[in-house]
Amino acid sequence: MDITRETIESFLFHEADLLDEFAVEEWLALWTPDACYWVPCNGRAGGDPTREVSLIYDDYARLQDRVWRLASPAAHSQRPRSRMRRVVGNIRFELREGELHTRSNFLLAELRRGRQEIWSGVCQHRLLASGDNFQIKAKTVLLTQSDEAIDNLSFLL
Amino acid sequence: MNAPQALSDYAHLVQTDRIHGSIYTDPAIFEQEMARIFHRGWLCLGHEAEIPQPGDFRATTLGRQPVLMVRGDDGQVRVFMNRCRHRGMTLCEDETGNEKFLRCWYHGWVYRNTGELEDVPLANAYGAQFRREDFGLTPVPRMESYRGFVFASLAPTGQSLLEHLGLARRYLDIFLDASPTGEIDVTAGVHRTRYRGNWKFVGMDGYHPHYTHRSVMDSWKRRPGGGMANLHHGDPFCDESGNLTRDAGNGHVLLDMFPSRLAHVDEYLAGIRKRPGGEDYIAAMQEAHGPQRARELLAWAGDPHVGIYPNLQLIGIQIRIIRPLAVDDTEVLMFPALLKDVPPSINEMRLRQHESFYGPAGAGAPDDAEIFERNQQGLGATVEPWVYLARGLERERQDTDGSIIGMPGDETTQRGQLREWKRMMSEA
Repeated sequence: MDITRETIESFLFHEADLLDEFAVEEWLALWTPDACYWVPCNGRAGGDPTREVSLIYDDYARLQDRVWRLASPAAHSQRPRSRMRRVVGNIRFELREGELHTRSNFLLAELRRGRQEIWSGVCQHRLLASGDNFQIKAKTVLLTQSDEAIDNLSFLL
Repeated sequence: MNAPQALSDYAHLVQTDRIHGSIYTDPAIFEQEMARIFHRGWLCLGHEAEIPQPGDFRATTLGRQPVLMVRGDDGQVRVFMNRCRHRGMTLCEDETGNEKFLRCWYHGWVYRNTGELEDVPLANAYGAQFRREDFGLTPVPRMESYRGFVFASLAPTGQSLLEHLGLARRYLDIFLDASPTGEIDVTAGVHRTRYRGNWKFVGMDGYHPHYTHRSVMDSWKRRPGGGMANLHHGDPFCDESGNLTRDAGNGHVLLDMFPSRLAHVDEYLAGIRKRPGGEDYIAAMQEAHGPQRARELLAWAGDPHVGIYPNLQLIGIQIRIIRPLAVDDTEVLMFPALLKDVPPSINEMRLRQHESFYGPAGAGAPDDAEIFERNQQGLGATVEPWVYLARGLERERQDTDGSIIGMPGDETTQRGQLREWKRMMSEA
């Protein structure tokens, strides 16, 4: 498939919709089996997750656990679900050794049980072109709030 | 049920089998908790391994009061009130960092990281009586540490830290002695979480996992060995597990999961052996502690699951500090401790295990926060104001060391914490 700004935007917007709509199984299907889904903590972008704590550092098995749990009726922190809408922008991209590296900003309004939170950050995707679509090999979310006290980050970024 | 009498009548509010809901909701009671518990007793500020280098500091709080835990150039860890001696500014703009000098940016007073006042700009205007040595940073009235755990108290006198820790001291040892050298590294960062509920909800509760954490316990069956299932084999919270709730006195309580961990230690060790260097870790533990003690310590996995009253818990790999912000607002800091002198794969395993359950994006902690918030809301219904804590009261018994033990889901732990709460709150 062609790697153009339009196809890249279309993929990132599609992913954002899946996340906002809690289409978690469909979202999981975007990932490659060597997935790395990383949300660093304490503002430590570029740190070493083998010896520093992260908010999320999932391989494919842990990502499956996460998605599976969210479907449980006993995932209380998502009962009721967060209502979300995010805007993705400032997209930049480059091809590196057969992988497409993108960097985008997001702004997410999340409403749950009477409280609205505004989340923001930078997403770094490593994508593989596959057939008519892209697959996510790695996604790192540099959350602006990563060093603040957070009560509930149980939805997907 | 009788209506509560005066709010200060703590013997009425905290009875053996029930407590009055107002202790979680009444701002006046919260004020008294700050004065009588958090601004009087021993509080844990953290561990010295958070600030390993000379000049490393952490700005934190002792109850409501800002303090600085700092390692001086002489290597010694001190705790100062975080307040410039001139006009009272806090000194460090960052929560953590490394500074040779602590500077007040209001009028430029500068302190050494050992507390002495180093420089006052244009000091000649203060006259001949002004002596810099009278204006060093104010030390916290009392500070003691136990194997690097730093405790402080705003009360100049009172029981010693060892008296306060009492029987619970051995659980601090169990946390540290998961390392063959008994040392930890607390520079891996912190999970900061917060919930809109009373601080006392962060209890030590063996009854809630089957319900609050049902999704997690179901996931253990789905993927044995994944996440926290690496640590738990079978259901550690059922009566048949052999596990206990334990009230070690002075408000210190634990979910004592040693019986089931010891019964399954070979499965746990098989998991460790599969990791690079796992065999070396086990051998180093045996070398350091002897085969019998090493087996016990490995079974504990460094997880005493203990609450040291009122603001410290050692759960999994984390040093958890509880910060009450208001009667219905609480911050919980979770510092994962790495083990020193072990293969990197052991620490990596511990970090992933921690993240799987704890922190704001874990599978467990956000559900706890959600339940605590619903608990706070529910207590707003005051027609029947009592909270019932009688579970296991008839069957609890005294262990040989003097602690009180109950079955895994018994409310022995809550009763132990609230007995200490009542004692501290009743002391004028």
